Amino acid sequence: MKPASPSSWTDSLWSWCKSHRDFRLIPRIETYPGVVAFAQTALGKLVLLGTFGSGLWFLISHDLLRWSVMMGTFTLTTFLPRHRRLILSLGVCLLLFKQNLRHSDSLRGGIVLTTLALNLSVIAVGMMLFWCARRWPRSIFGRRPIIFWLSGVTMFIVCVAVMKPTGRAGFFRWSEVGILVSYMWFIAYALADRNAKPVADFTLEFAALDPIWGSTGTPFPKGASYLRRIEAKDSVQLAITQLKGLKLLVWAILLWLVQTEWNRFFHGYLGIPGSGEAMAMWVRGTPPALHLRWASQVLFFYEIILDLSVSGHGIIACCRLAGFNALRNTYRPLSSVTLIEFFNRLYYYFKELLADFFYYPAFFRYWKNHPRLRIVFATFAAVLFGKSLYHLIRDWSIFRDMGLVKGLLSYQVLFFYSAILAAALSVSQLRRRRIKPSGFLRGQLVPSCGVALFYILSGVFLHEDRTYSLAQTFKYFLSLFYIHW
Amino acid sequence: MNAKDEIRQFVQKLLTESGDDQPLADDESLLLSGRLQSIDAVEIVTLLEEKFGIDFAEIGFDRERLDSVDAISTLAGHGQSNRA
Repeated sequence: MKPASPSSWTDSLWSWCKSHRDFRLIPRIETYPGVVAFAQTALGKLVLLGTFGSGLWFLISHDLLRWSVMMGTFTLTTFLPRHRRLILSLGVCLLLFKQNLRHSDSLRGGIVLTTLALNLSVIAVGMMLFWCARRWPRSIFGRRPIIFWLSGVTMFIVCVAVMKPTGRAGFFRWSEVGILVSYMWFIAYALADRNAKPVADFTLEFAALDPIWGSTGTPFPKGASYLRRIEAKDSVQLAITQLKGLKLLVWAILLWLVQTEWNRFFHGYLGIPGSGEAMAMWVRGTPPALHLRWASQVLFFYEIILDLSVSGHGIIACCRLAGFNALRNTYRPLSSVTLIEFFNRLYYYFKELLADFFYYPAFFRYWKNHPRLRIVFATFAAVLFGKSLYHLIRDWSIFRDMGLVKGLLSYQVLFFYSAILAAALSVSQLRRRRIKPSGFLRGQLVPSCGVALFYILSGVFLHEDRTYSLAQTFKYFLSLFYIHW
Repeated sequence: MNAKDEIRQFVQKLLTESGDDQPLADDESLLLSGRLQSIDAVEIVTLLEEKFGIDFAEIGFDRERLDSVDAISTLAGHGQSNRA
């Protein structure tokens, strides 16, 4: 009998994995008719809300006020689904107080009522712009409202950074910038929805400007028009959506536990420095050993995935509990066999933001007769220009602290990272049409490892610390290969 | 092969390439359900531009109009009637 070749046993293993891919650590309870029927009864709804509330309590760090408002709102939307949009709007109003406390902390103290007024005024501006774009669709603003909005916010930040207001005026100007920026992409999505089917009321538009289930600077999950499409239409859909939400919350908690133990084991017990810490040690002239630098880079890659999964799953789980069947933000990124697939699976709603506001507009407008150039141009518009703009505006406090020119220069590493990412994603899209190799080794394992290696290595340029120059970062990158320059 | 068949075949090919071997109904959601990705939408757009003469810069891009074989076929039908 001939011994099995390496490719035959790996392929057998792959076939076995494929045949067991329906295995779920958390059972697919939303497919069990009995569970779905129970979730539609009053008792079932209470059990579901109670279980979800217990899990949420852990995830939002025992914040009683926020938890109470969120669970109170979700209880009402569960029992009164016909009034879901209005209830969500009222919940948003209640949470605004809470968010004002957060904003005033980040602005080194301040008056809660003032920031509340600023918040409400920005929301009012957003709603007014949305109304104007719908009312006058053929006006200069109505045809290009998003360009007006994005360039308006950018100009406002530039003006404040150039004028450098100090004292009380400075506090208020930068407060305005901070609050404006926090709503920037939410208002952009509202403006993008201006051509959606006519709506009876604007309650969902209002609720989507500051969603009660939480968000980062990136709207989860997009705007009101998208929410309308994924909203549960009857009690069966609501039960299924909520059960999927509960499952996702359990998954988020499991990953959060993994994350806690991960940090304790790798950074505590094994003493591997974090990626930022390793870089800082290297800059200070006391670099960690080569294997520790590599280990910190590899860990950084997995830590980003874990971090995005825990936070994203928590937000989407709450969104589903409210009755919106949103897609996950992070979905099996490690199974990606191409760079573009990983980019899509890691931070879905950020990728969607870049696609909606930068990729598609560039793709539809330019280089129509040059298919390959068209893809490359649209990718650079999204990843180099769009991603850089997103981070420049998100981290507005750098301009407050460093001024406009120094602030811009501090982004050199990020611009470089965005450029190499754009180039890599362009190549990945252009190679997409090629015939893919089959088998576990060549079809799955090798491409997946290649994807991971790219993101591990490029992760050196992904540091949030803007104090390092591109030359310093590049030297650190070379030091990973024992090249000292 | 009529336009709808061609579109169905194209969508089926995109699904197969992304490892999705589930059956496909003509009214089934493709993009909003996550079965196809943004880059797949670009491929569908290119097909509609090249084969059916649709100019998305002119009509505006709305994913809902590409969300099922039925929806894409309707859009392709408009493109063909405009060209005729």
